[in-house]
Amino acid sequence: MSDQPSGFTFNGRPVALRIGQSVAAALTEAGQRPFRVTAKGEKRGMFCGMGVCQDCLVTVNGVPNQRACMTPARDGMQVATQVAFAALTEQPAVQTQEGRQLAPDVLVIGAGAGGLNAAIAAAGSGAGVVVLDERKVSGGQYYKQAAGAASVLDTQQQDGAALIAAAVSAGVEILSEVEVWGVFEGLLVMAHHEGRALIARPRTLIVATGAFERPRMVPGWTLPGVMTTGAAQTLWRSYRTLPGKRVVVAGSGPLNLQVALELSRGGADVVMVSESARPPHRQPLAAARMVAAGPRLAARGLAMSLGLRQRGVNVAHQTSLSRVVEVENGLKASFKDAHERQIDHLVDAVCMNDGFEPQNEILRLLGADMRYDPAFGHLRCKRDSTMQTSVPQLYAIGDCAGLGGAPAASVEGTIAGLAAASYCRDTPVPDLRKLQSSLAAHRRFQQRLWALYDIGPRDLSAQDDDLVVCRCEEVSLGELRQALGTAPGHAGTVKRATRAGMGRCQGRYCGPVTARMVAERDNRQVEDRSFYAPRVPIKPVSITAILAAQEMLDGND
Amino acid sequence: METIDLLVVGGGIVGLTAAIAAAEGGARVALVDAAINAGSNANAGSLHVQMQSRFIRLFPDQAPNVEASLPLYLSAVKEWERLDREIGPFELVRKGGLMLAESAEQMAFLEQKAAREARQGLHVDLLGRSELDKLAPWLGEQIVGAELCHDEGKLNPLVANVRLRARAIELGVDMQIDHVTGLGQQGHVTVHCASGRVHHCDKVILAAAWGVGSLVQGFGLDLPVRAEPLHMNITEAGAGQINHLIQHAERSITLKQFGSGQIVIGGGWQAQSRGNQDVPGVLAQSLLGNIALAARLVPSIGQLRVIRTWAGMNTTLDGKSLLGGVPGAERIILAVPGDAGYTLGPLCGRAAACLALGNEPPLDIDPFTPGRFSA
Ligand SMILES: Cc1cc2nc3c(=O)[nH]c(=O)nc-3n(C[C@H](O)[C@H](O)[C@H](O)COP(=O)(O)OP(=O)(O)OC[C@H]3O[C@@H](n4cnc5c(N)ncnc54)[C@H](O)[C@@H]3O)c2cc1C
Ligand SMILES: Cc1cc2nc3c(=O)[nH]c(=O)nc-3n(C[C@H](O)[C@H](O)[C@H](O)COP(=O)(O)OP(=O)(O)OC[C@H]3O[C@@H](n4cnc5c(N)ncnc54)[C@H](O)[C@@H]3O)c2cc1C
Ligand code: FES
Repeated sequence: MSDQPSGFTFNGRPVALRIGQSVAAALTEAGQRPFRVTAKGEKRGMFCGMGVCQDCLVTVNGVPNQRACMTPARDGMQVATQVAFAALTEQPAVQTQEGRQLAPDVLVIGAGAGGLNAAIAAAGSGAGVVVLDERKVSGGQYYKQAAGAASVLDTQQQDGAALIAAAVSAGVEILSEVEVWGVFEGLLVMAHHEGRALIARPRTLIVATGAFERPRMVPGWTLPGVMTTGAAQTLWRSYRTLPGKRVVVAGSGPLNLQVALELSRGGADVVMVSESARPPHRQPLAAARMVAAGPRLAARGLAMSLGLRQRGVNVAHQTSLSRVVEVENGLKASFKDAHERQIDHLVDAVCMNDGFEPQNEILRLLGADMRYDPAFGHLRCKRDSTMQTSVPQLYAIGDCAGLGGAPAASVEGTIAGLAAASYCRDTPVPDLRKLQSSLAAHRRFQQRLWALYDIGPRDLSAQDDDLVVCRCEEVSLGELRQALGTAPGHAGTVKRATRAGMGRCQGRYCGPVTARMVAERDNRQVEDRSFYAPRVPIKPVSITAILAAQEMLDGND
Repeated sequence: METIDLLVVGGGIVGLTAAIAAAEGGARVALVDAAINAGSNANAGSLHVQMQSRFIRLFPDQAPNVEASLPLYLSAVKEWERLDREIGPFELVRKGGLMLAESAEQMAFLEQKAAREARQGLHVDLLGRSELDKLAPWLGEQIVGAELCHDEGKLNPLVANVRLRARAIELGVDMQIDHVTGLGQQGHVTVHCASGRVHHCDKVILAAAWGVGSLVQGFGLDLPVRAEPLHMNITEAGAGQINHLIQHAERSITLKQFGSGQIVIGGGWQAQSRGNQDVPGVLAQSLLGNIALAARLVPSIGQLRVIRTWAGMNTTLDGKSLLGGVPGAERIILAVPGDAGYTLGPLCGRAAACLALGNEPPLDIDPFTPGRFSA
């Protein structure tokens, strides 16, 4: 008997699979890029790789609208292209499986650098801790672990494995593949796991949901084969799958360099990395300030650049992706350099990262106070020195509270874990001064690091009207511009007028753009209220999961 | 001092259609809207004609008022059809509404209700399960029959609101976002706004829904206006299947499919009030209960995912619409629709515009005048 699975089918054709691969990874490895067809007949595939964009939908064993990137591939599965309008067919009566209700001292949402450290600190102080994460394997984005049998790649994965082990041995209960879909006042948390309901009423809630990536909206950014840099990284780090043979990486920031190097080492032909910012040697003062704030991390960055050079990967500064078009056998990616010269590359995959957007839906839903950070173009959650938000017993740590990087997320986690445990056990908060000063150092480094890059919000004024801004509802920039003409006053009005933000990703990509366009038109500062109003579910949730939750609560009364 | 002909307070369906009708009639019109908690921006787009069982159950004392108003709903749907032709299309479909029964008692209730409605001129039929199967074979097995009201329908309120707003702007209506804080009538009407602006106008239409009560308090009117936060859900798109507006004989629910393929589920489940100046919150039990009921009645939606819920502010009064001049200050005209206010909105809006311009309104307003609330 062999434990090597043989495969599944896609539209009836066999697809090979390796243990642990997601459906999206196996399909990508098989060269299958389009997964679904939109209402307007456009082809779409994997984009975010992390369950956010909802563009990788496929039908699995007859159940429509499953995210290929979040669905583990299994032997004998029948996978099919997702049509825009799934047939409404009566299914055999839903078999809701028994769910679970929890009331831990500390509930942590997100098992990344922040969440794991918070859990370890809280459990170490004697609190009962449960961690929920929607992914199959813990670790989050920084410690991204290999799924299945793939061997450990590097120290980053090694450290992650050690952190997960530390959490487990501290007595933390980690529940994987549990997606939180709703939170309600009074810290009521609703989640599901394969149709099974999980309802938690914790005494304290630590939100550590991280960030998702900001795309570069250019013509063609919705084509199959165009994906975020993090999606390509997950393909490689978690599933040992390359996004394609020939790859370009575009945008701004160190993640692009790191992933380009990883993909190149993994055997991809990385034909170019385009970086919008000037090279560090052209900004010597800013570069020196970054090095002074974090010599070790700066050295790692330098090693990355050298590594890329050694492998012959061209890092083109002051160069930006301008368009992607589909050609026979692949994609043509066009770039503009500092002199407005056009550079074209024929590739299999385009990876893009233009900064990050915090996954702050849970925080906003619960009414935590936010402020807008114009340098990063996103909201930051206001917190006190223990990471508690304006909502009592609600803590926010890591990138979900505003981009800050893994080292800061870790320290914030430890602080919040200690504080939450102290609250639960009614003991004084321990001395946090050392942690707070190391946090200050991490933040200083981050600030100086990002000053070297070009991750402010992107201005779309030079783009043509037909640029797609809302991927889900296929709303163009022109339609948004037209809606602005009626003095909407709020992004919500634009949304109702154009449908931008009404789709499955719930406005995660178009929302920040719309909010800024409206604020600009009215000459106002962007603020929390500028964005689409937060509402449950924070991710589309199956009616099956809702029925399961309803049944469980009904059984209570 | 600049005076305009008409100032409309409130930019929901009533205010918009009043402004359009008045501007089409040649008046110079401004519209001031606080842009918060308009029921019109949150509603489900059901064109209600038959009596909603929810209403009869929750407000039994108001049921006679609703029953007496039934012919008004027929005219209101016709008014929507006119707008759909002239300013639309708004995805208006009039295939009828099914009110479902799951037991013999519920069927008996529907029989009585249908008889009362037929007397008021509604086109209603009672369907047994086999007849129902021809129309809607996808309904849950436990459903024994239904009342079909042929007059009912649905439209897409998002589309309608956008088109109507664009039409108002095209007609030169001066649209302003502001909060009206007080009014006075000395010859003409003065209207004070939170921004400090003062408007002078010949006539004012108060189409401010939950906001009208405080505005007319000084005029000896004690309006029992209540803001009622309500819950809604929407799923991702599915293939077209559901043409009718679906309701239940006993339970609160409306369910329909939009042109986008999405299923919209609501019907009066409660949301959490955070005061009139803040958007209401979504309650877990409403979300769970409303969806569970929907999936029981229409099991074929069970494979779809819910992608969004929201809460909006409905306004209730005494079940009847409120139309007419404020006693003693007749230049100030009240326009608040009765139950199912989006359905009634355009008719109420046009009636108010006629009153403001001194024309004959399209309906007999005697049963609806504010005098009934004089302190
Ligand atoms: C795609 C991506 C790739 C990155 N790669 C690198 C890198 O290679 N090197 C580097 O230095 N930095 C990288 N970063 C930045 C770095 O990962 C972060 O700064 C760091 O991981 C922050 O830790 P965190 O705990 O805040 O969030 P994360 O590590 O992102 O962890 C958040 C966790 O929350 C879970 N989660 C989110 N929402 C829900 C929900 N509703 N229900 C259940 N679980 C949920 C997620 O599955 C995830 O595991 C990357 C960031 C992203 C977004
Ligand atoms: C969730 C929900 C679903 C519904 N579904 C349906 C349905 O399917 N079918 C149906 O027929 N009806 C439905 N209704 C009812 C319907 O939406 C309302 O009755 C109708 O929209 C009311 O319209 P309106 O123009 O009178 O007031 P609104 O649309 O409520 O507009 C009033 C406006 O006045 C403004 N305002 C208030 N005070 C002031 C002030 N002092 N100064 C300036 N502006 C002010 C408000 O900000 C608001 O913009 C639903 C309601 C809700 C909440
Ligand atoms: S790629 Fe699967 S949700 Fe974005």
